[in-house]
Amino acid sequence: MTDHQWSELAAPYALGALPPDERERFAAHLAECAACRGEVQALREVAALLPDAAPVATPPTGLRDRILREARQIRPLRSGRAPVIPWLAAAASLVLAVGFGYVYLRERAALQQTSAALAAKTDSLAARDSLIATIFSPDVVTAALAATGKPPSARLFWNQSRRRVVMAVFQLPPASAGRTYQLWAIAQGKKPVSLGVFNTAADGRLTVAMEVPPGLTFEVTAVTEEPAGGSPQPTQQPFLIGKVAPAD
Amino acid sequence: MAGGDERALGELYDRHGEMAYSLALAVAQERADAEEIVADAFGQVWRNAASYDPGRGSVAGWLATITRTRALDLVRARGRRARAMERAAQTDSDGLTSTMGAAADPPDRRIERGEARRLVARSLGELPDPQRRVIELAYFGGLSQSEIAAELQEPLGTVKTRMRAGMEKLRGSLAPLLSGGGA
Repeated sequence: MTDHQWSELAAPYALGALPPDERERFAAHLAECAACRGEVQALREVAALLPDAAPVATPPTGLRDRILREARQIRPLRSGRAPVIPWLAAAASLVLAVGFGYVYLRERAALQQTSAALAAKTDSLAARDSLIATIFSPDVVTAALAATGKPPSARLFWNQSRRRVVMAVFQLPPASAGRTYQLWAIAQGKKPVSLGVFNTAADGRLTVAMEVPPGLTFEVTAVTEEPAGGSPQPTQQPFLIGKVAPAD
Repeated sequence: MAGGDERALGELYDRHGEMAYSLALAVAQERADAEEIVADAFGQVWRNAASYDPGRGSVAGWLATITRTRALDLVRARGRRARAMERAAQTDSDGLTSTMGAAADPPDRRIERGEARRLVARSLGELPDPQRRVIELAYFGGLSQSEIAAELQEPLGTVKTRMRAGMEKLRGSLAPLLSGGGA
């Protein structure tokens, strides 16, 4: 196929209008063609707006309660660690942050918080908002860090234009006294570069943002446990490791 | 954290429930079906939250994809054709956007939800009918390009050209809502 013929497929691909065989072939092409990837990324954003063209209809009043009721039956909530990685919670806290003006005002009215508490709340929401900006950018690449399919796990987002990474960690017990966790960026054939140290909260979770040194690129990211303060180079085998992939 | 997950689901519904329901209804036509579809879609979001990948798009986009897929599955399972498909296929139809009306004001930098909606509806409505129809048939009707060609009794090449031209025009008119535009 010529380049021209490939680029013709971007629009139907974004609209889900290619038959399976053609879709597979185009997806394979996308893996190696940045121009088509860019085109698809942009047209997918267009397609993602199309639901807004549907005539507005008001859902039945009981639908919200029904959804929450059914969710409770699917996965009963526990006070301890959730059996499934709580991406929804992370996703929804993103939602909360995106709509934080609304949530903030509503919570303020409901809770009558003190001005000090309100200031703290605003700060934490503003911090979250900055995380969102890092994550929801078109040039973000992502890596799923895993330990052979078992907990703990982590997901890393690398915003290349802002030179920032955001990492969300799940089900990782806090490091023992005098120890810390350290995140490494690894480029092929080069020594690992430290992106920073971190520790999880008692619930095993953490969302953290770190700066990426100028000019640094990497294909793999990994986490090791190190002496407090971190090490110049890893002193242990990483227990979490993941490959960076384009986020298109 | 207890209760936080469920609250998160509630927030997700408050923000995007209407979009999901409207989309489901546009595809499936029946209100009762739309309700089932949306309940199923949120159930899937809940169960598969672990697979959500923000790098691939917004939560709303993910929910819309799930909702659309479920709606098309249901319509196909019943051997029914999507309403959008029938309406879009009518030569004289104004398509899905006919009920939306046109907004007069140009988009502002800070676009509110309602404005975004109007811009999308207006942009789709302003496409030449043949281009709008192939896009609606693909998105709301779930048809492939060859199925659209058969439906409209047009050559496949014509359908391809229209789809591409229509999407490129939308990309231009919706630029204020896209990550690469309006900045």
